[in-house]
Formats: sequence, structure tokens, C-alpha cells
Amino acid sequence: MAAIGQIVEPTTASAALSRAQARAALIPDCMVEARRLANTVIAGWHGRRKRGIGENFWQFRPYVDGESLSRIDWRRSARDDHTYVRDREWEAAHTIWIWADLSPSMMYKSTFGTVSKESRALVLMLALAEILARSGERIGCPGIMEPIAARNAAERLAAALMHSNGASGLPDTRMIRGHSDIVLIGDFLDPADDVMERLGPLARRGLRGHVVEIADPAEELFPYVGRTEFTDPETGQKLTAGRAETLKEDYARAYHARRAGLADSLRHLGWSFVTHRTDHLASEALVAMHMYLSGMPAKKPEVRP
Amino acid sequence: MSGFAFAFPAVLTALILLPAIWWLLRLTPPKPLVEAFPPFAILASVMKREETPAQSPWWLTLLRMLMAAAIIFAIADPVFNPRANTLSGDGPLVLVVDNSWASASDWQRRVDTATALIDDAESRNVPVSLVFTADRQQDAVPTDPETARTRLAAAASRPLPADRTITVTALRTALDGTAPGTLAYLSDGIASGETDETLAELQTLAPGELRFIEGDGLGAVAITGASNEAEALAVTVTRLRTGEARTLPLTAHDARGRPIAAGTVSFSAGEAVARGTIAAPFELRNDFAQVTVDGIANTGATHLLDDGFRRRRVAFLSGETADVSQPLLSPLHYINRALAPYADLIQPGVADLSVAIPELLNQNPSVLIMADIGRLPEDSYAPLERWIEGGGMLIRFAGPRLAAAPADDPLVPVMLRKGERALGGALSWSEPQPLADYPPNSPFFGMQKPEGILIKRQVLAEPTPDLAERTWANLADGTPLVTTNAMGSGRIVLFHVSAETGWSNLPLSGDFVEMLRRSVQLARGGGVAANSDAQSQGLPPYRLLTAVGTLSADTGDARPLKQATGEPRPADFDNPPGLYGSEDGYVAHNLFPRGYQIRPIAPADAATVVRESLIGEAPWSLKPELFALAALLLLADCAIVLFMGGAFAAAVRRRPQRSAAAALVLAIGAAALMFDPGAARADDAKPGDDALFSRLDTTHLAYVVTGEGEVDRISERGLAGLTEFLTYRTTLEPGEPVGVDIASDELSVYPIIYWPISASAPMPSNAAISRIDAYMRNGGTVLFDTRDQFVGLGENSATSPNTERLQAILANLDIPPLEPVPTDHVLTKSFYLLSNFPGRYSGSPLWIEAELDRQEDPTRPARAGDGVSPIMITGNDFAGAWAIDASGMAMLPTVPPDEVQRDHAFRSGVNIMMYMLTGNYKADQVHIPALLERLGQ
Repeated sequence: MAAIGQIVEPTTASAALSRAQARAALIPDCMVEARRLANTVIAGWHGRRKRGIGENFWQFRPYVDGESLSRIDWRRSARDDHTYVRDREWEAAHTIWIWADLSPSMMYKSTFGTVSKESRALVLMLALAEILARSGERIGCPGIMEPIAARNAAERLAAALMHSNGASGLPDTRMIRGHSDIVLIGDFLDPADDVMERLGPLARRGLRGHVVEIADPAEELFPYVGRTEFTDPETGQKLTAGRAETLKEDYARAYHARRAGLADSLRHLGWSFVTHRTDHLASEALVAMHMYLSGMPAKKPEVRP
Repeated sequence: MSGFAFAFPAVLTALILLPAIWWLLRLTPPKPLVEAFPPFAILASVMKREETPAQSPWWLTLLRMLMAAAIIFAIADPVFNPRANTLSGDGPLVLVVDNSWASASDWQRRVDTATALIDDAESRNVPVSLVFTADRQQDAVPTDPETARTRLAAAASRPLPADRTITVTALRTALDGTAPGTLAYLSDGIASGETDETLAELQTLAPGELRFIEGDGLGAVAITGASNEAEALAVTVTRLRTGEARTLPLTAHDARGRPIAAGTVSFSAGEAVARGTIAAPFELRNDFAQVTVDGIANTGATHLLDDGFRRRRVAFLSGETADVSQPLLSPLHYINRALAPYADLIQPGVADLSVAIPELLNQNPSVLIMADIGRLPEDSYAPLERWIEGGGMLIRFAGPRLAAAPADDPLVPVMLRKGERALGGALSWSEPQPLADYPPNSPFFGMQKPEGILIKRQVLAEPTPDLAERTWANLADGTPLVTTNAMGSGRIVLFHVSAETGWSNLPLSGDFVEMLRRSVQLARGGGVAANSDAQSQGLPPYRLLTAVGTLSADTGDARPLKQATGEPRPADFDNPPGLYGSEDGYVAHNLFPRGYQIRPIAPADAATVVRESLIGEAPWSLKPELFALAALLLLADCAIVLFMGGAFAAAVRRRPQRSAAAALVLAIGAAALMFDPGAARADDAKPGDDALFSRLDTTHLAYVVTGEGEVDRISERGLAGLTEFLTYRTTLEPGEPVGVDIASDELSVYPIIYWPISASAPMPSNAAISRIDAYMRNGGTVLFDTRDQFVGLGENSATSPNTERLQAILANLDIPPLEPVPTDHVLTKSFYLLSNFPGRYSGSPLWIEAELDRQEDPTRPARAGDGVSPIMITGNDFAGAWAIDASGMAMLPTVPPDEVQRDHAFRSGVNIMMYMLTGNYKADQVHIPALLERLGQ
């Protein structure tokens, strides 16, 4: 009987890029809802659907006392008895940091999943970069790439990933400045306290985080039966279960408790949390992230059994 | 003689390796499946204790140890029943083999035993004297072992008891004083006759060693009798081994060997004879042809039944003239009604008794019933007595004539007093007497106590010492009512009352039926020949029993069976058990007569006799079984290892629905393959079915294609116009109009066919007209339209060519009388209220079948089916008025040009269609007010 799960080779960034672009083509442009736009003063070239500094006309509004007279639009005001001010649409860019966990535990694929977790994480990361870059956001990857605002941000991110020597569990967050968004993609299988210990300081620095937990169906469903020896891909530890099916319920309880704890802690930080299984479509997670990033909290995705 | 030994005991030393195997097995557990598992930390926190992978479960180890041990033992080759040659080599081996009926069940073991002895004799190089005790010719001359083996192979058990006196004589002659070395007697253990001194006789031959070899004797069970009792068939069974209690199943078979009833017989411990019963309805017992003991296949355990179990043939005689006009006064009427369900009844064709009695006896009745006959013709007594002595049963009923008969009648069972005794009545103190309980010796015993039967008059028996035991039924005061007496093989029964209701109400009761039935049942079946010529010749063998209890047509050297009137004889060489006679009637000749008891053979002086049992099976090796066991254990081990590896659980868990669905699909597929309905059904499709089916779901208006293009076009457009009008105005939505060729198309799917008559069109053939005739007869309607209302204007001729053509057509049709539509006809009110039926023209009446009175005339075939006229004739050219073109405009003008008339033409068409489809329904609606009033609305 063949093993259910297997350790896979790391996905090349170029392959992931092509798949990511295919995914991204399905998703509309993502306007990052900038709640803290006052703090990101870099002008971008896409409108914010708000009045502010920009070039495009947004609205006429009645003049209120105290405003500069020079802002009065006399051409409009001449048409009736009121005086109007011409507002322009606020145009600004936002910095999004995207990071994917490429540690050995991600190099896992079971017979239930379609791709490995690492592959899915890369696809999500690059697809997100593609979508955001289309909207003119500044894309960065902590430890790998400084934020850039370019149409080909996804390609450049893929190139940077190719040149980085890869796997480290913890993102190097020193290069993150100011208030920006960070998207963390990984399996987050470490104890929830450890994870929060790493993410807590980021939140305290004012970063707005979005966490995507990628899980393989085998990890969630525990379909193992019979005498099974489990090995840890990170540490190489071994553990033998006489009848693995007896562990299923306990394991599922612990697994979901960890996930619930993590989600709870992240909610306290004000961060969003999305779970994604590799047997589902990558677009699902992408759409969910899209929703969160554009300020429309998506309905909490139902965890399929 | 049974034993146990190893062929290669040295191999058993390998057993000391088992502990080493144990140690090795414990060290190698089943290999686990290695799984990489990223959430390892979570799993580790969940697992309470770590599996110790160093050991496999003890029972798995034990299983493997057993497997190893089984293989070692199998190689060591254990053998059961090793034999040793202990034959005395001093003289010839004398083998006395009982090949009687009782040896059939274990004959092969006897042959094996004898073969082993012959083999021993061959190795000792001594001659063999082989003799079979149930053979007619017994040859005891010593021969070489090879010849003896051939004779043994040719021998078979016989369906006969052993005759050992011949054996001893033959042995004496053959041995001629030579003392045999070993005398082995393979006995069936059954004594022939009361005592059997065979062993003692054999000892007088002075053998060096006398071995008495017998089987377990469990097969020595014989049915010695079967008698038909009131409720069940009683079967007497005897057995040889009387030690323990034993219950044997019995089965009754019919003439074709099918089991039709079952029963049991139970021997209690120490009992050699037991009675069992096979309970079955009387009618079923008629069909019994043989009774067998289940599981014991030999001649003794098979008991043949003959016609004694068939329906009896009962002949009637009455003293009085048969008065068929008053049957309730005739005694034969009651007997007839009582016995008809149970017996075949025959009556004489003539009233003259001297002719009637020989005539009846020639038909071989089982029972002769004489109701109230006092004196018989003098020359009738002798044949009648001979018939009774040959087994016939005479049942007589009393009556005035018998009461008046002289007392020296030989054909009554008891001496009768002259005259009858009257109970009750004006001149008697006594009351009419009920019946007493039936005495135990009576065949009526066991019937319910008769209730409500009162005897008013009877004939009285002279008291004799044996009167009580000849009595089957008594009155409450003790006087006998039914008496009997055996006469030869037959019997005379006398009912002391008459068979009609004059003397008692007994013939009216159910007891009468039951008493007669039981009495008749006692008679022997199959008829008794009146003359004894056939008996003196004997009955030829018809079917003989084989040793294993089956019937065979091979009669061999059996002689015809002489039926003795006395004690039945056991079967012998001349008359082996079987059926004697012919297909029409036969007598069963069984192995043992009734009451026979089989006894064990007398034990001889125990000191000189070596008792042995038959050898069991030949020495047989356990090797294959042990290897099979090891293989099974290996399979079990594989299954367990797979199970522990989770193979089955995974398969079951992962694809339960899919596998179940696949199994279902497979099962359905197999069933479909087996019962393919399409293959079983004949292909009954006919050409034109498609067109027919397309006409069936929708009503279509139809017209006759005359062959003239203009006429047909107007017809088609006219019906199309009517169809549109109907669809618009009514719930009837007909399909497209259909032109029919009356010579070939199927007409029955159309309610009405419009036939425009055209004199210039070709005349339809007679066959086509007969099809129209059949169509009308089956409920269809033809609307003939001559379209000539005004054609004749200005001409002198009274009839137009179209009318002449119509007359020519109708001349070949069988049409009812016609009349113009009466004003109260349902046609005038079936949808619209109409007074006339105009078409393009107005004025021609619409002719329909005349409503005659209710009297139906069977000679008129074209009757109105369902009250609808089968024919309508008009001259108003309906189709012309209805005809519309593609845009819905009328094609032809009405005459005179009046759109109201066209509308009335359409209304006429609607009324006609409604009349066609609803029949008299509208006419019946005139009753609705009355019905509503009755319902209280």
C-alpha cells in the first residue's frame, strides 16, 4: 500500500509564476482599502473612490465657510446662487508585503491534494502580487524584495524568489516600515503561542496582517489506518501508531483546536485569517484574500469536512 | 485395528526448532507503513503512549508457530490405521461373507475387509475359499487369491436373507476334511430363523482360527409391516442392535418415487420392534407406494405397498327395486353419498341377482355392499363365499327382508334372531337407543363418541360367547349394532340397521360416513379375483427390489409368486422381494412377513472365536490435511498482516458507496443478462405501426380519398376548417385531418370518416366496401355526402349521379333503416341547439339510423355501437361549407350566400363530432333534474 503523503521537490518560481498568472487572470483588480491612507503619502496612480489629492474630478460640493476661496469652482457656481467647490479623487498607492513559508513542512503533498502546500503557497503569493500590481500597489517581500510599484511586480518577485536561497521559517521584518499590509502564507503548524510570539510584534508596529493557512487534506482528515510510522519532515522524528485510525478523533480535535486558537488570537490583533486546503481551487483562497484586502470581509469560508 | 503412526518419525526432531522460530518471530513485527506527516507535533501531543514496535502480538506468533508445527508434522507423515498381517498360514483361508440384505449399507467396507484378508493370504501364499451366504449357488472350493479377488469384486449384496445351511454344507464338501487355517466369517449378525447355529457349525470345521467379523449392525433395520389405520399409516420396524434408544425417520413415497409424507419410528432402549406412524390425509395415503427408513439403503428398510392402499372398488346390491324418483327412500342412496368420495362405486346393470352377482364379482370389487337382502339365489352363494375367502369384504345392512330371512344364512357374521326389535313406538316401553362407545377392538375405536344417533329398530344377534369380540359397535344397552366375522382371507360385516332412515337416523350422521369409510378401508385393495385360476398360476415378477432398496425391472431368475392364502412367506431365492403381477395390478412381496423380528446370530463358544469389527477405511495419511492446514494458516496470517496494515479498513472506508454501487450495477447487469426481456419477447412489430401510433394519441378527422384532386382538396380543407372551429369552440382539439385509403389504411382509429361521393371517381372495390362495413359494425361512423342538393334543379331525373353512386356503394353495405334526424334526436342538442344541418346547401335532411324500438335484431350486423348511428347521409356538401384556405378565409360560397348558414354548417359539424364522441351522454342529461332532486339538491 502506497503511502498517502509524500515529500515533494520545491516548486520553481517560474512554474509557480505561470500558474499564478493564470489564477490571477480570474480575479479582478484588487484595490487595497487604505484605512490608513493618511500615513502612506506616496501618490499612486489609481483612484481611491474618495475625495483628496489627485487629478481626476470627483464631485462638486457646496462651499463651506473657512475653506480657501481659491478652491471655489466659479464656472459651476455661476450657474446658480450657490458656490461650489470642485473635489478631486484621491489617488494613492499602498504597500503590501507578501510572504510565503517555504520550509520543509510545506513540501508535502498527499494523494488527496492536487498540489503540494508549497506550490499552492507560491501560486497564491504570486497571484496576489499580480493582482495587486495591476492595481498599482507597491509589492514587497520581507527579506527578499524591497517594495516596488511596477506592473511586472509578480515577475520580479518570482525572480527575487529564484535568487533567494529560500527556506527560512521566520520572515525578516526589519525592512518593513510604517503602516502597511502584510500577507502571510504558510501552514502555521507550530504551536499557536509560537506563531503569535512572532506575529505579535508586527501587529504592534501597526501592520495590518492577513494570514492564509494552507493545509493538506491529509493533515486535516487524518485518513491513515493500520500500522503507520509517522515522520516529521522538519526534524526527522519518528512515531509509530499501531492502529492509526484510533487516533483520528483525538488528532482532529487537537488540530482544529490549534487552528481555532490561532484564528482567535489573530482576530484579537485585528488580522484576518483564511484557511485553505490544497484539494480546493487556489482561486478560493485568492478571492477570500481579495475580499479582505479590499475591505469587504468575506463570509467566513466554511471548512469542508 | 485403528492406530496412529508416523512414517518418518525422525522429522519430528525438527520440533525442537520451534522455540528458535518463536524467538525469531517475536523480533520481526509487521512492517509499518511510513508516512511523512507535517503536523507531527500535533500528532505527538495526541498519542498517549508510544507503540512498542519490537514485538508482534502473541497470538500472531502462536499462529505462525502452529503453521511451522503443522508443516513439520506433515513431513513426518502420520498414518492412521496401519494394518498388520496376522493371518494363520497353516491352511487355506476360508472367507464366509454374508452378502444378505443387511450387508448392503456397509458392503464396501466388507469388501475392503475381505480384500485385506485376501491380500494377507496372498502374502502368506495360502489358497482362499470364498463363499457368499446369500447366493443360490455357493461354491466353496479353495482357489488362488487372484481368483478370489475377482469373485469378490463381482459379488454384490443380495436383497435376500442369508441361507447359511447351504454354506456350511458347501464348505464341508469343498474342504473335504482339510482344516482351514483361518476361517473369517464376515457376518451381518442376523440369525436366519429362530436360532442360528452357524458359528457352532463353522467351529466343527476345526479352523486354526475363527474370526467373527461384523459391522456395527446399525443398518440392520427392517420394516416388517405397514397397515393403514384410521388417521395414519402404522409401520412396524424391527432392528438388530437393541442397545440404545433410537429414532429413525420414515418416508412414504408415491409410485414414481417422490417422497410425499414423513413420519418417525422410535425404539426405546432394549426394544427390537417398534411401531411408527406416518400421518397423512387419507387421500394422500392412497398414493403411498413404498415406505422407507431414511438414511438406510437396503432391502429391509424398504417396504413395498401394493394396491391395498388404493381406492377400493365397492359394489352395491339392494334388495328393493331402485326407485330413482324417490332416492331418499333408497338405502343405496345413503351408501352412495357416504362412499363416493372414498371409493369407486359400481352397480349392477340388471336387477336379477343371479346375473348381477357374477357380473359384479367379475369386476373384482374389494367390497360388496348388500343392503337389505334376505335370500340370494342358490347358485350365488358358492362364488360369493369363494370371493370372500379370497379376500373380499361383504358389508350387509339389515332391513325388513333380512329380518324375515331364515336363520341359516351363511353370509352373516353372527346368528340372527328372526324378526326385528323395535325400540320405542306405541307398543313398546323401551326408548330409541343411542350408541355406546366403540369397543377397543373395533376399527371405529378412536372416533368421537356418537351423539344424537337414535336406533329405533334393529335385528338382534343370538348371544354367543364370542359375540363381544365380533362386535364393532354397540347400542347403549349392549346389543350389538355392527358385527363382523372373518371368513378365509375376507370378512363379513353386518350393520344391524337398515341403510336408510326408516330404522334409525344413523345414515344421516357423519358417523355413518366414517364407519363405512373405515370398514371399506379394511378391505384389501386391488380387487380380488373371483376365480382362483390366476392365483394358481402365480403372479409374474414385475419389479424387484435391489439390495439398496430401489425397484428394478431386472427380474433375474425370480419365479412367479404363488399367492398363498395362509401365512405369508418371507422372500427367498425364488421370490425375491418386489412387486408381482403386472402394471394393472400387482402384489407387494416384501422381505419379511408381518410380525417378523430379526434376531442376532447365536454367539458361539467365546474362547475360540476372535471377534473383530470390520476394518475402517484403508490406512490413510494425514499429510494432505496437515499441509492444507498449514496453507490455511498461511492465508490467515496474510490476511491478519494485511488487516493490521489497514488494507481492508482503508478499502472499506474509502470507497463504500462506490463499491456498493459497483456491486449493485454488477448484480443488475447480471440479472439483465439473464432475464433480457427483449430476447424473450417476440418481435410483433408490423409495417405501418408508426403511422398507427401517431394516430392513437390524438383524435383525427378523416376523409375518404376519392382519387379526384379537387374533391379531396375540398375535403381536406373542409375538415381542416372544422378542426379549427372545434379547437376554437370546444375542448376537442383534433389533429390534422387525415385522408384515408379505405382499401388499405387502418380505419379503427378514427371516430368518423367523411366520404364525399363523387360519381366520376372510381368505384371502390368490394373488399374496400367490406372494410367499411366492418368499420361501421365495430362502432365507427361514415358520413356520406352526395353534395347534390341542387344539382338536380332543372333536370327531370329524380336522382343525381352522385346519389346513384351512393346507392351502388350502399348496395354492398349492410345498413340499418334510416330516417331524417328527428327533432328530439340527441344530434340536435349535443352541443348547439340545431333544427337543421345545412352545409353549402341547405334543405337536404341528414339521414341517420332510425331509432327502432328496443328490440334488437341480431340479423342486422351494422348496429349502432354505443347508441351512435353508424351511418349518416347528407346532400348538403358539409366540406364545401367548412373549407377554408391557408389564411382562414372560406373557399367556397354558400348557396344562397349567407354567412349565417356557414356558421350553422360549422355548428352542424360540431354537433356531429360531439355526437360521435359522447354518444348518448347528452341524451342522458335530460335526467339530471330528476337525479338532482333525488340527491336532495
